[in-house]
Amino acid sequence: MDEQEIEGRLYNLQDPKILPDSIFDNYAAVGKNNIPIVIDNGSYQCRVGWASENHPEPTMVFKNLIAKPRKERGKKEGDIQIGNSITNIEAVRLQLRSQFDRDVVVHFEAQEQVLDHIFSHLGIESEGKINHPIVLTESFLNPNHSRNLMSELLFECYGIPSVSYGVDALFSWCRESPGYISRDSLVLRLGQHCTHVLPVLNGSVVAEHSRRINLGGIHITSFFHRLMQLKNPLLAPAISLSRAEEILFNHCRISDTFYDDLARWEAVDYQKKNVLIIQLPFTAAPVPTTASLLSLEQQQQRRRELAKRLADMNARKREERLAEDEETLSRMLSIQEMWDDGDNNDLQQALEEFDLSNRQELNKAISNLKARIKKTKSKILAVMNSTMEDTQETPSAKNEVKTSKLLQELSMPNDANDMGNWIAELKQKRQSLLEKRVARRQKKQDMARRRTAAAQERMRLISQLAKKDKREDTFGMKDEDWDVYKAIQKDGGDSDSEEESERLAELEEILGRYAPELNMAQEQQLMPLFTCIPEKYQFALGTELIRVPELLFQPSMLGHEQGGIAETIEYVLKKFSQDEQHRLVNDIYITGGSSKFPGLLPRLHKEVMEMRPFHSKFNIRRSSCPSLSAWYGARELALNPEWLRASSITKSMYDEFGGEYLATHSASNPYWQNFTLPMDCSQQEVVEEMY
Amino acid sequence: MVSKKKSTGPVSEGIDSLPGSSAPSPVPFSALNDDDSKQDEGAKRPVFKSKTFQHMNKSSNKKKAWKSLKQIIAQERAQPMPEGCVHYSGIEAPPSFKPAKKYSDLLGFLSKYTDPQTKLHYSTAAEFSIIRSLPNDIVTGYLTLRKANIQV
Repeated sequence: MDEQEIEGRLYNLQDPKILPDSIFDNYAAVGKNNIPIVIDNGSYQCRVGWASENHPEPTMVFKNLIAKPRKERGKKEGDIQIGNSITNIEAVRLQLRSQFDRDVVVHFEAQEQVLDHIFSHLGIESEGKINHPIVLTESFLNPNHSRNLMSELLFECYGIPSVSYGVDALFSWCRESPGYISRDSLVLRLGQHCTHVLPVLNGSVVAEHSRRINLGGIHITSFFHRLMQLKNPLLAPAISLSRAEEILFNHCRISDTFYDDLARWEAVDYQKKNVLIIQLPFTAAPVPTTASLLSLEQQQQRRRELAKRLADMNARKREERLAEDEETLSRMLSIQEMWDDGDNNDLQQALEEFDLSNRQELNKAISNLKARIKKTKSKILAVMNSTMEDTQETPSAKNEVKTSKLLQELSMPNDANDMGNWIAELKQKRQSLLEKRVARRQKKQDMARRRTAAAQERMRLISQLAKKDKREDTFGMKDEDWDVYKAIQKDGGDSDSEEESERLAELEEILGRYAPELNMAQEQQLMPLFTCIPEKYQFALGTELIRVPELLFQPSMLGHEQGGIAETIEYVLKKFSQDEQHRLVNDIYITGGSSKFPGLLPRLHKEVMEMRPFHSKFNIRRSSCPSLSAWYGARELALNPEWLRASSITKSMYDEFGGEYLATHSASNPYWQNFTLPMDCSQQEVVEEMY
Repeated sequence: MVSKKKSTGPVSEGIDSLPGSSAPSPVPFSALNDDDSKQDEGAKRPVFKSKTFQHMNKSSNKKKAWKSLKQIIAQERAQPMPEGCVHYSGIEAPPSFKPAKKYSDLLGFLSKYTDPQTKLHYSTAAEFSIIRSLPNDIVTGYLTLRKANIQV
């Protein structure tokens, strides 16, 4: 891809910093008045704050996660981190735990840790109990078992005076729907783990016709995360879940004309215009500074000098030896003369000096010496020649030692005429390598299928290998024996191909230099990998921008068997009479963090239009603040002491009715009492449906 | 591809983190041994907490101290309940009635073809040639993503 031609946007990842929660410093002012604490205990985020006129915003918003550092031998166990005290979530990704299983709290020790974190950060210091009513959210149709344990924890561990449970989606709906007491709505909640469709008639939710899709923000995020990693395997470690989340909620959108948009993406022009390029942060490491640059040059210089000195030393040694040898030779020659002259006295002395006994030995020594001198001389000459060449060689040529080696190997001709032939030869070599590669791939494919010659040959080899022979087993005596394993390997021996592709790359580099008209496709691959250019840390997003949030409407893309949100709405509506359907669609209310995708409303509009009768009316609206409105709603209700009194379970009620008991209200779950409870309390009212 | 090995590590690590409907990404605590952390807490127990509180429903089995959602659902179903009661498990959305559309795994376009060898969907010849050059781990990754990697 040519970078210059792309007009798409470039997005630099922000990697927002997480700051640990500070401890609420104004508890003294709030603490005396038993102000209710509102906790929206969501499976994505937990939002906590006071139900007081002075505190319109939650004091804490944090991811409902616990990081428990792994115990290591010899190390003191680290502190448990919760929510925003996990400053680097990616570092502890594998140690993250949550009290939730899907959207239901199941692990109450973890919940206890989270509540400890909450209450201590609210600055509560009262001894042995917490003197504040609690308003807490739970999932829709939260199992009684879970509520029982939650109540037990709140009343017996924290000693709270009362608790009111409500459903987050309904709190949000109550807040933004005037006259909710008798209102009809279809509430859609797009959460982190689940998506809910909740029909509300006359201000109370119709539980038996509600439906839950077990797919939410986390599935979309991890799908996106994984897809990006698969598409960019080299960048996979840098594409973290938090980054995927950042990109997802900043750039992805729900398309109201999904198939048309997909078709549009097929055009190259559209791709170039609309592609989003993500720039991963990168450290411009080993950029050679001037110092290191110098040192690099110096190092080369030093190496050269060292080599030269070594060569000099060798040369000197050789010369010394040559001189020595020549001297001995001249003396030996003089001895020979002496022998001829018959000067016996001196001769005897000289012979003893060289440890020689007769004329023959002397002659032999002389011829040896002569040969040695000749050899040394030729060596000196050769060295001198080579150094001459070295100095003539340009530094640029030196840089291409590797190539020139190959050139030598391929015997590059000097003649311009031969050059053409030579290049043709190279091209042919490259071609044969490419063909080999294609053949190998073909073999790999053939092997994967049955009933092909390659597969049959493979089976034949395997059966031959497995055959038990009476004769002595000589397999493995020769090295070639082991090649059979390469032949029966299903992926066609990828390990060997590495060398091949290296050679191919070299050939292409040479060809690129000497025959530039041959434009190499692989040229980009040849770029050294260590260069730190921003482009190396980029990846492109195309159809993913609309394809990923589409999961909400087509869970089948994820292999999820449940229907999408539109299909489920249609299914739920069909459970009602025509009149009720009309009342429901007249006010479709959307809330929850995953509803923040742009384009959701137009898309839902289109989908509902398709499922409703011709010319019928309907309204769709989205919460003004999808992720926080549940907390706001709970807070506003809790501000009313009347509501709070009517909707709370007090300690005495808990003692009397047990932990599963639920005081119902407009935003709460319906409550069905369990038959297995002691008879005395179930006698009063078997079914309490106060909504 | 510089090195096959290198790319496998981080990629395959993500597979577990992909939550199916039954596996949310932050693992519920159940897999953890919490008993020693409990003792640790004793030292710095916040003042507002009861000093004697013990979880009643905690099983003595360390590995499965808490019931999973699946167990809770099963328990809820087994209990005798008044008529008209709707359980958490009673509001599962029905399976999709529409045939699932196929999308090419790499580019995301509507796809008509499936590669018989890798089982990946593809839409164009160009995409097909890319598919065929993908290493096995990436292919498995794509299949896992849409829960189609069931090996027979």
